[in-house]
Amino acid sequence: MNGYRKYFGKKLLWFTITFVVAVLLNFILPRLMPGDPVAVITAKSAQGMSEASAVKEVYEHYAREFGVNDPMFKQFITYFKNALRGDFGLSFSQYPRKVSDIINDAIWWTVALQLPAIIVGWLIGNTLGALAAYIRKGFDKVIMPVALFLSSLPPFGMAVILLVLFAIKLEIAPTSGGYGFDMIPNFSWPFVKSVISHYQLPFWSIVVYATGGQAIGMRSMSIYELNADYVKYSRFLGIKDSKIVGYVFRNAMLPQITGLALSLGTMIGGALVAEIIFSYPGLGTTLLAGITMADYPLLSATTLIITFMVLLATFAIDIIYGFVDPRVKAAQFDE
Amino acid sequence: MKHILSQIFHTGKFTMGFCIFMGILLLMVFYPLINPGDPLKIVSIGTFARPGTYISLYDAVDSRLNTLKLDEAPANRLESVLKMEDRVKMVMWFEAVEIPIGHLNIHDTEALLALWEEHYDSTVRPEGMTKADRNYFQRLDESLNRVLVTKEKILATRDASTAELQEIRAIEDTDYVNLKNVANVKRLPLGTDNFGRDVLKELVAAIRTSLVIGLIAGTIATLIGLTLGLISGFIGGIVDDIIMFVTNIFTVIPAFVLLILISYSIGQDQRGPTTVAVVIGMTAWVWTARAVRSQVISLRNRDHVNLSKLSGHNLFLIIVTDILPYIASYVVMALILQISGAILAEAQLSMLGLGPKTTEVPTLGLMMNWSMLYTAHLNGYWWAYFPVLLTIALISFSLNLMNTGLDQVFNPTLRD
Amino acid sequence: MGKVMLEVKDLKTKYITRFKEDVYAVDGVSLTIEEGKSLGIAGESGCGKSTLALSLMGYYFAPLHYMSGDIIIDGRNISSLDPDDIRKNVLGKEIAYIPQAAMNALNPTRRIIRFIEDVMKVHKPEMTRPEVYEMARKRFEILGLPEKVLNQFAVELSGGMKQRTVIAISTILSPKVLIADEPSSALDVTSQKMVIKMLRDLMEKGYIKSMIFITHELPLLYNVTDDIMVMYAGQIVERGASKEMVFDPIHPYSKGLMGSIIVPETGTREHELIAIPGTPPNLKKPPAGCRFAARCKFATPECRVYSMEMHEFGEGRSHRCRFSVEHLREVYANG
Repeated sequence: MNGYRKYFGKKLLWFTITFVVAVLLNFILPRLMPGDPVAVITAKSAQGMSEASAVKEVYEHYAREFGVNDPMFKQFITYFKNALRGDFGLSFSQYPRKVSDIINDAIWWTVALQLPAIIVGWLIGNTLGALAAYIRKGFDKVIMPVALFLSSLPPFGMAVILLVLFAIKLEIAPTSGGYGFDMIPNFSWPFVKSVISHYQLPFWSIVVYATGGQAIGMRSMSIYELNADYVKYSRFLGIKDSKIVGYVFRNAMLPQITGLALSLGTMIGGALVAEIIFSYPGLGTTLLAGITMADYPLLSATTLIITFMVLLATFAIDIIYGFVDPRVKAAQFDE
Repeated sequence: MKHILSQIFHTGKFTMGFCIFMGILLLMVFYPLINPGDPLKIVSIGTFARPGTYISLYDAVDSRLNTLKLDEAPANRLESVLKMEDRVKMVMWFEAVEIPIGHLNIHDTEALLALWEEHYDSTVRPEGMTKADRNYFQRLDESLNRVLVTKEKILATRDASTAELQEIRAIEDTDYVNLKNVANVKRLPLGTDNFGRDVLKELVAAIRTSLVIGLIAGTIATLIGLTLGLISGFIGGIVDDIIMFVTNIFTVIPAFVLLILISYSIGQDQRGPTTVAVVIGMTAWVWTARAVRSQVISLRNRDHVNLSKLSGHNLFLIIVTDILPYIASYVVMALILQISGAILAEAQLSMLGLGPKTTEVPTLGLMMNWSMLYTAHLNGYWWAYFPVLLTIALISFSLNLMNTGLDQVFNPTLRD
Repeated sequence: MGKVMLEVKDLKTKYITRFKEDVYAVDGVSLTIEEGKSLGIAGESGCGKSTLALSLMGYYFAPLHYMSGDIIIDGRNISSLDPDDIRKNVLGKEIAYIPQAAMNALNPTRRIIRFIEDVMKVHKPEMTRPEVYEMARKRFEILGLPEKVLNQFAVELSGGMKQRTVIAISTILSPKVLIADEPSSALDVTSQKMVIKMLRDLMEKGYIKSMIFITHELPLLYNVTDDIMVMYAGQIVERGASKEMVFDPIHPYSKGLMGSIIVPETGTREHELIAIPGTPPNLKKPPAGCRFAARCKFATPECRVYSMEMHEFGEGRSHRCRFSVEHLREVYANG
């Protein structure tokens, strides 16, 4: 168990380092803009605001927060401290709302949508990939190109197609939003029903998108494993094929867990754009609002939160993986 | 080399991908020859003209007329006025004014019309029917009357001084013009977009831009990845540690987020397609670096490499002659994936409003973004977004197919 | 003469490649082994010796296919048995296999004892888990393997330990015939010795009744097996007692092959260490005459037309060359 503690410690250290780097990047990239960052940012965003006093307050707040007169290092410390406390300042476009409030409203929609969707997509994709590798022949000839095509389709493409098909043509699902536009969030049955019906299309478009890529990965992995020496050996000891297939899929699926961790960033990025197609009230839409309204504090905070979510998920997957796959233990713990 | 090529084309996947990709390239090269001109020129006033052939009505009436007696003409005319949804609405009207329709078949045009002729009265105001609905029925009735009673139509010009109409020509329901005789006929196979641009022409131009973006970004990413991977894998030690540290960090920090931040910082005005391509390339090298590194590590202790080291060849020479040829197939595959990845990345960035600036060139992502902003998908203007989506998917699909084919040839464990 | 443990009559099997071509990798092999004896099979890589090992198991799966011939184990012809019958009643119990790359022969994500349980579930379903454990522990103890290996994963074992574990598992049901395909080739010298010693122990203690040992390293065969067979292009070209085969090879191919070995006891070699020039023939279309004719120094045009069957020329010795033993000896003597 000592080995595992070491592994855990290493992963935790790694998580911390990447988080600091992520915050640093979030801090430094906009400062690479030519000219006075505060002027540029507020000039951009002032277009969206009507009250002169509001513009002034935003400017002052921002100048204070950016601390343009302080040395770079001190600026970063201030920024980092604020980020840790969840203080991202005030929104330009939805003044005087706090950025943290806006994000707090959006983040749970995204988590509740993407977490299950990616997991379901991962499961379906792995099952299909494994079946394609095992059955081969006709099934593989159909599943493989279809999966490849699906994973070639941009994630928002799947969203548009599902939207047109089910919401516009068949009219069996609502076109946009997270719940009926005439409703106020509460815990009544009609509201929950509305949320569920609005959930379907974004959910399935992310599932389909996630499925394609995973199926292809799992197929290659399973073919690789099916050719492994232990398969032949187990057969020659008289072990039943169904049992051996069990070994193979377990062994192929475990690396797919890391595969998920590594592709998580890309997947979430794609899924966020898919959210936008449905005007889903999650982080994707917040991100778009931040960009189109030139609301810099909102954009910056959203990207930071997204990065944080991806890092956290990757960390969690790594930890789980260390538990379930003895190959990791052998490879990592002995170092 | 010849052997490898024949092996590659032996895999159905590669050949299929290659054919699709060539088809797209041919379209990109030859369509502008058939239909030259500025792809961003606005050709229609108003948004989203349907796909089809547009005949200048102005020219048509001046063309030589032929008389054709066609039995099906009246029925066709009626059909174009009386759509299925109109029939359903008519039945709704009957129900609203409580007229028993019995066993009326909605497809039986004659019976339906007879019933309509007999009962429709524009003055009746059925309960619960809005004014808009009543107007609809009135219009339907008028257009039905127009079609059913074939009167000739008079074409006239207005006298400039007296403002009187002077008849030039009477047009009978049996008058036809040959399409070849009409001076102006415009084919818009994919209609027009929200700005009134020719979608097909724009799409072909967008394919070119997007492929260029893909190529630039892919090349940059592959070059960075290749260089870092080679250095890291071959030299090892502290250099390897540093490069791997950076690579690992950028593996977990999503490239997507970096793209957004950088693109936003650059600002709308500075973002041409090349800039966007460079930014995409700079954020996408991580995978290639990792893959190349692990390949190089497996190669670096091979006999021929050791021999070169003992012979005192310099690092550059060893890498070029003893390492690169062995990972060439791998690098080509990585490049292909990078290109398709970059095309998707551009599309996603554009969907967020962070794509190339919009006034100069069309890209697949920008076309998609505009059609979404103008809610083409909600209004059934499929030609504005579906061909774009299909093109993105086909480009990416064909590249992925080729990659899978190559993988099967160069990676024996994946062989069937 | 002892009891015949394994008799193979004119066995023919083929590979079907993914381009639907037939490769006749084992083309009419006959052999017998008596109780307590071991037989070595030698040949260049690609001569079909590993395929022969797979074919002898009597249990075929793609891409290997059975064509004709009989495999008789201790008087029972298993070629006519139903594959499921073979799996349950022959594999592991009657005939067992040690694979070429034993390093990867064990499922990396399954504890050794779990795998042994899987094997026992097929062959001795009446045994409880503690009984299986006790039995495995005893066998491991006798073979000098530490008990803790049972609770480890394959990835946690060293190469030599893995190989010995594989041997222990293969022989756990005390099979009548053991087929070892290059069991020591990938190991360091110390581990090689331990593996060889273990196989000898198994024979001496009666846990296996006979053994076929396949390798390309001839010195090893000389030390380990009673008889040696030389294989070329899917056929046996010569057979004899180990010592005679090494010091007095008759078939030109054996001569070439033995010419390249160092006899460990004398420390001398009789001829220059020269690899046989040329490559083995394409087994998709085997040549009509003697298969070795194209590479044989002594071949005449007739050799390419007429093929020969194995014929005896001394006590337990036989070969496949057209020329008489006297003629060949004379040719060799003249260089």
